[in-house]
Parts: sequence; C-alpha cells; structure tokens
Amino acid sequence: MPGPIGPDEIRAVSQAALEIPGVDAVEVLFMHVWGGLTRFASSSIHQSTWSEDTELRVRVVVGGRVGVAAGNDFSPQGARRAAESAREMASVVAPDPLFPGLAPADPIEDATRFDEATASATPETRAAGVAELVALCPGGYTAAGAYGTLASEVAVVNSEGQFCWAPTTQASLTTVVTGADGGSGFAETFAARMGDLDPAGIGRRAADKAVASRSPRDVDPGRYPVVLEPSAVSTLVGFLAWIGFGGRTLVEGRSCLSGKEGRPVAAPAVTIFDDANAPGTLGLPFDFEGVRRSRVELIREGVFVDGVYDLRTAKQAGKVSSGHALPSPNPEGPFPLNLFMGPGDASLEEMVAATERGLLVSRFHYSNVVHPMESTITGMTRDGTFLIEGGEITHPVKNLRFTQSILEALTDTSMIGRETELASEFFYSASRVPAMKIESFNFSGRSDH
Amino acid sequence: MQAVQAARAAGAEYADARVVADDSESITVRNQAMEGLDRSSSQGVGLRVLVGGYWGFAATARPEEVERTAGLAVQIAKAASRLPMEPVRLAEVEPATGTWHSPMQQDPFNVPLEEKVALLMEATRRMQAVEGLTFAEGGIDLYRRRTWLATSEGTAVEQTTVHSGAGIEAVALGDGELQRRSFPNSFRGHIAAAGWEHVQKLGLIEEAERTATEAVELLSAPECPSEVTTLVLDSGQLELQIHESIGHPVELDRVLGMEEAYAGSSFVRPEDRGRLRYASDLVSITADATLPGGLGSFGWDDEGVPAQRVPIIVDGIFQDFISSRETASRLGVPSSGAMRADGWQHLPLIRMTNISIEPREGSLADIIGDTEDGIFMATNTSWSIDDHRVNFQFGCEIAWRIKDGRLTQMYRNPNYTGITTEFWQSCDAVGGREDWTLWGTPNCGKGQPGQVARVGHGSAPARFRNVRVGVRG
Repeated sequence: MPGPIGPDEIRAVSQAALEIPGVDAVEVLFMHVWGGLTRFASSSIHQSTWSEDTELRVRVVVGGRVGVAAGNDFSPQGARRAAESAREMASVVAPDPLFPGLAPADPIEDATRFDEATASATPETRAAGVAELVALCPGGYTAAGAYGTLASEVAVVNSEGQFCWAPTTQASLTTVVTGADGGSGFAETFAARMGDLDPAGIGRRAADKAVASRSPRDVDPGRYPVVLEPSAVSTLVGFLAWIGFGGRTLVEGRSCLSGKEGRPVAAPAVTIFDDANAPGTLGLPFDFEGVRRSRVELIREGVFVDGVYDLRTAKQAGKVSSGHALPSPNPEGPFPLNLFMGPGDASLEEMVAATERGLLVSRFHYSNVVHPMESTITGMTRDGTFLIEGGEITHPVKNLRFTQSILEALTDTSMIGRETELASEFFYSASRVPAMKIESFNFSGRSDH
Repeated sequence: MQAVQAARAAGAEYADARVVADDSESITVRNQAMEGLDRSSSQGVGLRVLVGGYWGFAATARPEEVERTAGLAVQIAKAASRLPMEPVRLAEVEPATGTWHSPMQQDPFNVPLEEKVALLMEATRRMQAVEGLTFAEGGIDLYRRRTWLATSEGTAVEQTTVHSGAGIEAVALGDGELQRRSFPNSFRGHIAAAGWEHVQKLGLIEEAERTATEAVELLSAPECPSEVTTLVLDSGQLELQIHESIGHPVELDRVLGMEEAYAGSSFVRPEDRGRLRYASDLVSITADATLPGGLGSFGWDDEGVPAQRVPIIVDGIFQDFISSRETASRLGVPSSGAMRADGWQHLPLIRMTNISIEPREGSLADIIGDTEDGIFMATNTSWSIDDHRVNFQFGCEIAWRIKDGRLTQMYRNPNYTGITTEFWQSCDAVGGREDWTLWGTPNCGKGQPGQVARVGHGSAPARFRNVRVGVRG
C-alpha cells in the first residue's frame, strides 16, 4: 500500500514549476489520493475498488494574467510541463483586475489528521465490516451501501514562500436497508479513523428504521410541522452554503443573504458556523490556495454575520480571506466545507412529543434550487417518513416532495436537538448538525412508495 | 495486454484493462474578464478482474505499479466473496479489434487560445451592451479521451473521442430576483462529439443580444401562475426530462438494485418489457451509441461490446433496458453495450449512450400554433426526482403563456411537476426533424465513488396535457 509522499519530495518536484522563467508568481497545488471502497447491494459485495492518483495543479501569474494547468505526472518534468502550459495560457489573456496575489508565507505542516490503519485498510477489513452490517438485516430485508477508506495528502507551495502540507484520512460507511413491504432505512457514519466506525451500530439503525417504515400509507401534501433528523437538516444547511454563504455570491449580490448582514434570518436558537479545525469534522487546516482555515460564524443566534472568503473575494469585499478557497480556477468562488449547526437542548423524542400532528423526516433526496434569492429548494423525502399524531409516531407515510424556503424554515424552527451528527447531503460534503423541529414546512407533492 | 496478463497470472479468470489518457481545456469569461483558463491531463490504467464470480477493480497512474495493481484487483475480488452472491456471468460477446475516432473536422486543441478567448469576449461584450444586464458569461469546454481496452477474451480496441462545447449565459439582478438566460442551452451550452467546427456554428455572438435582453425582461415579468394546464417544452428542457425520467430508470443495474444506496432504484421492472405503457403512442425512445455527434457515441463500450441502436420505448410501450454484460446475462439477453467509466480511475458502469426521442411531425411553432391555451417553458435551471424515478420537478429559465396559438405574456421562475408515466402518457405532440437537436449532457453523476459521464439526448419540442405548473414554496 502507498503512503504519504511527504514534504521533502513534494517540495523538490514543485520546485521545477516554481523555477520557470518569465513569470511573476507560481503556485503548485499538490493532491495525492488513494484508497478503497467496498460497495454492496442486495447484501452482497458487487463493486469493490481501489485507486491511487496524484495531481499537480499549477497556477502561473504574468503581469496580472493568470493561467492554470494540471496533470497527474508527479515528477519534475510533469511539474515543469504544467507550469509551461499555464504560462502559455496566461500570455494570451487580459490581466485580472481582481487578482489578489498568492498566499503569503505562513507555513503549516500537520500530520495529526492521518491514521495509518485507515490509509492501509485492506479489502478484507472492509468486507468484514460489511458482513457485520449485513448480518443485522432481518429476514426479507437486504442492505446496500458503501464502506470507504480514503487517504489524501494535500500541499500548497508558492513563490511567496508558502508551504502547507497535510495528510488526512477518512473512513465512511453508509447503508440503505430495504424490504419488499416498502420498508427502507438509512444510516451513515464518518470518522478520520476506521477504528472509530461501528458497522453493527449502523446496520442496526438502518434495519430498525426499515422495519418501522414498512407498509407506508398515503398522506396528503400540504403544510405540516416537521421533525427533521440530522440527515434532513444537512440538506438545508448544505444548500444554504451553496446559495448563501459563499463570499462571491455575497459580493455580487446573488446570495439569498446579500444585504442581510446583522439582520435576523433564522430563529434565535439557530447558530451555523464553519470550522475545519474543530473536533467532529473532517477538514484540512488550510485551503486550496494555502491560506490557513479560520472558524467563521455564519449565523449566530439567528442573525446573519458573514460568509466565507478566498483571497480574491476578500479583496473585492475589503475583507481578509477566511481560508475557504477551492482549487483554481474556481468561478464559483469560496465555499464552506466544514459546516456545523450548534446543538439545542431537546431530544428527538421530545420534539416528536411536542408535535400534535406533523411529520418525522429521516432524510431528503435529490434536492435542487427553485429560487436562489428566496432560498427555496425542492426535493423528496426518502428512507423513512412518519406521521406524528398526538405526540406519537403513528405510522410510516409514502414519500413526499417538499418545496420550501430554507430561511423561512430556519425562522420557523422551534426546537433543536442536543446531539449532533456528521451527516452527508446528496450533492455536498457532510455537515455536523442536530435534529430540528420546524413549525411549518411545505410538502408540494407525493410519490407512490 | 501486459496488465491483463498480470491479472491472469495473479489468479483472475477474466480480466480487462483500460489505459486512458484524458486531456481537457476550459475557458470562462465573465464581463470580458477571464474567470478561468485551465488545462488538465490525466492518464493511468484501470484493471477489472473476475475471481470466483466476484469483481475486483484497481487503478494506478504509475506504469511501474501495474503488476502490483493487478494483484490488488485479485485480492479485492477474493475479499468480496466474504458475502455470498450468485456468481457473475458475462453475456457472450465476440472479441473485437480495431480503432475508432469520433467525427471531427478541426481539432479544437489546435485552435489558438487567442481565437477561443476572442469569441467569448465578443459574445460577452454584446451581452453587456444590453442595459440592465449584471453578468455576461461565456464558456468553452473541450475534452479528448484516448482509450486502449484489452480483455482476456481477446478484445483489443483503441478509441479517441473529442467533445467540444460552448455557451453563453446572461444574468440580471434586481429587487431580490436573479434571472438567467442561456444559449444554446444551460449548464455550459451545447457540447457535442465534434471539433471546433461545432463551436463556430453555435452562433454565440449572433444570439448574445437576444439572450441578454430576455434575461433583463424576465426581471419585470410576472411569476409563472400556479395551475394545471397544457405544457409545451422546448427541446433543451425535454432533453433533461428524458434523461431523468426515462434514461436513468431504464439502466438495468439500477433496476436490479445495484444503485440502491446512492441515487436509488427504478420503478421499472424486468417483467415490464413489452408490457408497460410508459408513454403515449407518440413517444418512441431509442438508445443509439452510433449517432454521429453524440456524447454517448463510441465504437465499443468499456467492455468491448460494439455500439448499438436499441429501442427503449416504441409507440409508448417499454421495450428494453440499457445494460452491461453482467446485467444482461441475468435476463438471458445480449448486452446493449452501455458500460462506460469516468477515466482510468473508475470501473465501468451502465451509462446512457444517446437516449433520444424519435421525431414525429411539425416544428415548435406548429405545436404552439396548435395550442389553444397553455404554457411554453424553455431551458432547464433545476431538476429533482425521487429515488424510484417517479415524482419529478423541473425548473426552467423562461416561460410564456400560449393563447390561441400564439406566445403572449412572458413569465419568470417557471417550474412544473408530475409523475413519470402519467406525464409521458399525456404527451400529445412531438416535434419533427426540423426542431430535433442532439444535445449533450456533460454532467451525469452516478456510482460510488462518484463518476461523471457525458451523455447525449436527441430531443424535440413536445406538448403535455394537464400538467401542474408554478409550484411555490
């Protein structure tokens, strides 16, 4: 199994790019990713894979003109070739008046987020975890999912003297347990160390939900109070990140939060922040242009504070980069990859007990934007939706389509869970969020299962 | 072939190896300033093996690691046997040899960068000249993939595909509204298996002013009303309707539950072949990997199965799936040849080829002229569909009221929702060849680890009855 290449060799290879003549500045973003994923369906392992790749992404600046070229030839020759290609591109374009310069020297070398056992996990280890999970499916139910063990090594080197390097690992296990009677349950877990995963716990949780959601009944679409489990909350938070928190959308007035700095946009119980260095998330200590990642308060006690920035959008906004650049070139601008919603003081059971007639949603599926400026999105429920009557879950219901403003939902939030989970979103990275109770949530349609 | 031999030596009963070299170039201009200019290249080898009826896959970018990677693929396959499974059997295919190249007149990678940038600069300049416009953006995307596939059954083929595309986008902001118009289509325009000649024929400069003007006009247009009405879609929107509600549901791996944990399964079942009334009798859908210019065209798929034309829906009745050798063998039929991988790093999955609606009669103008009252929507902005591909909702950039056969009031923020088979069964008009376009969808996601495929859809304008439009939050 491969391991981290390490700072010395990365520096040596990158030097070939940094030394090309006729340029003002050079940045090398190095990424090395390796790992395996054991995918299962119908309680069998049907697709199991492993791969390793490196990338050198070279950004060259000539007179304020910027070109970027990338390749997976990790050698001095490959680095130089990419730099020359980027230089050629930079030579034909107009200067970027907003080019902020490269990150200043602020070295970071952090190997504390790397777990050797995860990086060198074998297919046998993953298969054993899947077998443990599958064994918990009750009769008539099967499990599908994926058990991944991934290692990566990211470095940013530039001609300003900056050098950042961090190897990291991530283990993930997700599953959907389904039965012929319409039952469906989902569970997932992420950790930096595969030893921290609990395949049996995940299997049990998904199986219990699948059994509980069998034989779902129709319920009419309309407005309901909802209790959202963390996986469903992660959809609201992830989409708000996309259409709200990015410095570029804010600067350009395209964000649903543009012009709302310092104003209430959610219930006072809602606090959302981004922090790659906090426990309970899986983050890099620096961004993809080599700026140290900062904790950013996005919504504090219901009031919108600010978004996240990279060097370019920070220059536009007259602010300092918060360390949220994505790999260049990046027309979408900066993005928060390590979101948190602060916990409240309620349990899920208390939220259900406080609901006279409403719905419990386990998870949303395949959501998308309807009206970005109003923060309205649509999507489906999936893998366990339940009717709550008289403070108790009475029966599962067939999946519903929602069309709902995220900011209105956050404003209508009445209770927040005391436990948080790292929960994924279909299109985004995971956020650490609690369950929530929202007093009015719009379901605009329904499906047949 | 060295990789295949290494896998066989390591214990594989079957092995295939794909060496893939990818090159891409992307240019983005906004308000006549460069937003992004980058080139990428990547090459490596992916090895897929069968051991005891179980799959294993491993990939590396390092040529010196091929033997070790082959051994790892075998180890992965053996580990999969930890859980019992009906052993994988592969539908028979005649070993193939040869070369294939997608059609191209002018290699886009040889066109001077200055010419490409100048095209986008002029298009965005013309958009910016429209009063009230906030952002004028243009993009060009170019891809070249060279693939060498060898299998232990004797297949040895070499293919090169070149995909070229471009588009413009106008954005107007005001009073809490963001309105967008794109040309020729949203999400980076119109991409095809062609060379620079395709980009030159798109008419980006000629359509820039109209595109920007419509974006600005949308700011003051009323919201699309909420009602159940007759809906006419342009071919660009129908393309994505086909993609989400026909293309994905007929992927046989999805039908068999192999995608259950990610985007979900399908309401279509194997026993529905030849029986399910999927659509009205005006609707015939074909998966055709032989279409010149299609992003889903090739000589052979990534299992060495030759490109085919497969009827999916004929006169509204569901006929067949798109399949792989493994899934086809489960139904006892030949593979439809739909296996493709996203580069060397990934194992092949069933991907759409060119899933197209067969043209009927008349132009878009004819369909509108034949409509007494309804809504015409154009150009996709948003899509969402459930995990069985039943309930969908799509948003479009622009709409107009159709009254007595004419477009009248413009509407902003249009969307519509429905149930897949009910919607397709309500289709009572499909346009003819004159307005049929072979579009490209360059961003189709599937699988774990996630893969992105470029697929094609031939599409025409069409009309649907009793559709719910104007869904509000």
